[in-house]
Amino acid sequence: MTLIATQSLTKTYGGRVTALADLTVAVEPGIIGLVGANGAGKSTLIKILLGLIAPTSGQVSVLGIDPTADPAAVRSRVGYMPEHDCLPPDLSAAELVTHLGRMSGLPRTAARERASEALRHVGLYEERYRPVGGYSTGMKQRVKLAQALVHDPDLLLLDEPTNGLDPAGRDAMLALVHRIGTEFGISVLVCSHLLGEVERICDTLIAIDGGRLLRADNISAMTTATDVLAVEVSEGTEELAARLAELKLPVARDGRLLLVPLADDGTYDLILGAVAELDLPLHRLDQRRHRVAELFATRELTHA
Amino acid sequence: MSTLSLTGVSRWYGNVVAVNDISMALGPGVTGLLGPNGAGKTTLLHMMAGFLAPSRGTVTLDDDPTWRNPDVYRRLGLVSEREAVQGFLTAYEFVLASAKLHRLPDPAAAARRAIDLVELESAQDRRIGTYSKGMRQRARVAAALVHDPQVLLLDEPFNGMDPRQRLHMMQLLHTLGDAGRTILFSSHILEEVEQVSGTVQVMVAGRLAASGDFRTIRRLMTNRPHVFAVRSTDDRALAVALIAEPSVSGVELDPTGLTVRAGDYGAFTRALPRIALNKGIRVRQLVPSDESLESVFSYLVEA
Repeated sequence: MTLIATQSLTKTYGGRVTALADLTVAVEPGIIGLVGANGAGKSTLIKILLGLIAPTSGQVSVLGIDPTADPAAVRSRVGYMPEHDCLPPDLSAAELVTHLGRMSGLPRTAARERASEALRHVGLYEERYRPVGGYSTGMKQRVKLAQALVHDPDLLLLDEPTNGLDPAGRDAMLALVHRIGTEFGISVLVCSHLLGEVERICDTLIAIDGGRLLRADNISAMTTATDVLAVEVSEGTEELAARLAELKLPVARDGRLLLVPLADDGTYDLILGAVAELDLPLHRLDQRRHRVAELFATRELTHA
Repeated sequence: MSTLSLTGVSRWYGNVVAVNDISMALGPGVTGLLGPNGAGKTTLLHMMAGFLAPSRGTVTLDDDPTWRNPDVYRRLGLVSEREAVQGFLTAYEFVLASAKLHRLPDPAAAARRAIDLVELESAQDRRIGTYSKGMRQRARVAAALVHDPQVLLLDEPFNGMDPRQRLHMMQLLHTLGDAGRTILFSSHILEEVEQVSGTVQVMVAGRLAASGDFRTIRRLMTNRPHVFAVRSTDDRALAVALIAEPSVSGVELDPTGLTVRAGDYGAFTRALPRIALNKGIRVRQLVPSDESLESVFSYLVEA
């Protein structure tokens, strides 16, 4: 089943500003990363997927439903976690999430039960009875996630879920998102600026730039190994570089790393031999991988 | 070349101790200031910038105190976390106002130079209200740089920026650091701090938990074995040979390869190539699993 499909989706505001231009993309269920520069059209895409705004032209379907034609049907099966704080400070998390559950059509008792379950899943226990106004950023993010989960959706749209979190908070949030995607079997679309984060938790990635599709692919396809070996020694980098050059290996330097093209398996032996001969501490020997960040770095070059 | 020195600095608010007995010296180059929320990073930056008086201890810039000493602002710039820019001004006007406040001899030229440095020329005559977050941040950096300070302090400069804008800001910090300026920035995004600078100051609950190059910090944690992932042509034979080494405290075999725990970093990293060659085993991969800034940080915060 296709989770989200768009066909030449275009959105212009006031006929002048183009937010999305002829975007065609289809993704399968899983954890999907949505990346792009500020102003690339990510928020517009999310609003269209939720049926909050209509596209200027083109088709879109979410879980097989057209959000332009039947926005209520889409929203009953999709949970949304907005980027900005939008929580009333004087309500407790339990009250708020129960209320939002009832807004999604759950009966009073079911809403209360589901709210308590959703809050437990995101890791809010006794705190849930305190007013939200006194919560830390991390706790507020959890409340926003809980309200997106309360009606047991099939798809979650998360807009910058780790914004403003400290390293421990980020780790916990990423683990939670990964768990929702794998254990609960709910598909997740994560908007993020942090490509490292996306590499860590997503299976699929959609990159958009200036309203156009830059690339949509599996993460594994974007992080394939290259034909370059990265070698790092914790001391004597210069000596090793000189020795490898003597062995007729074309060596390039990249910060602390020495990069050697991988001709065949013999290259491994040559490097290991050189390191052992010079008695250097070998810190890293690894085939370099492509990184998602290259998508943006190469674009930078073409712009310059 | 300027040095910012802190000696026994504490700062408390009533009964709350925000910063607790911190001493450090920051020299030229780029340094990252890290710590969980509430560790006291912003309080420390504000004391460095002379916005707050230390409750105890001294903060000096080349032997002059920063508190109650407006003269230090000739040599120091601060980019605060909160965005306070007037949206109705253009970037040029905003930076020019900053130049005039510093009473620079030629404010117009200084403003153009600063805007040039952050590469904002093409947009300098647009109102800041129309800018993206990254551009606004760059305009604020330009305003803080307009008097060519030796020391630049930045509180969370990468917050809310997209990948391209962050790449750009990182390059800018690099350039400034390489030119001999003293740059200190706080951040939560560790993989990026790792790219900008290996030198970090880590604060935990108001105290300085560690400072220096994070790789060196990792080597000093001798109570934690160094973990490496190894793949080779014959993992089992390699495991047998490795466990005989005194520097190795544990080896685990799994379908994808070996996980080696080494108590003595130096001895193990020197021994591995030798052992593999002697046994005729080809090592295809050796990757340190807990040497990243992220793991060093979590070890420090846990401890």
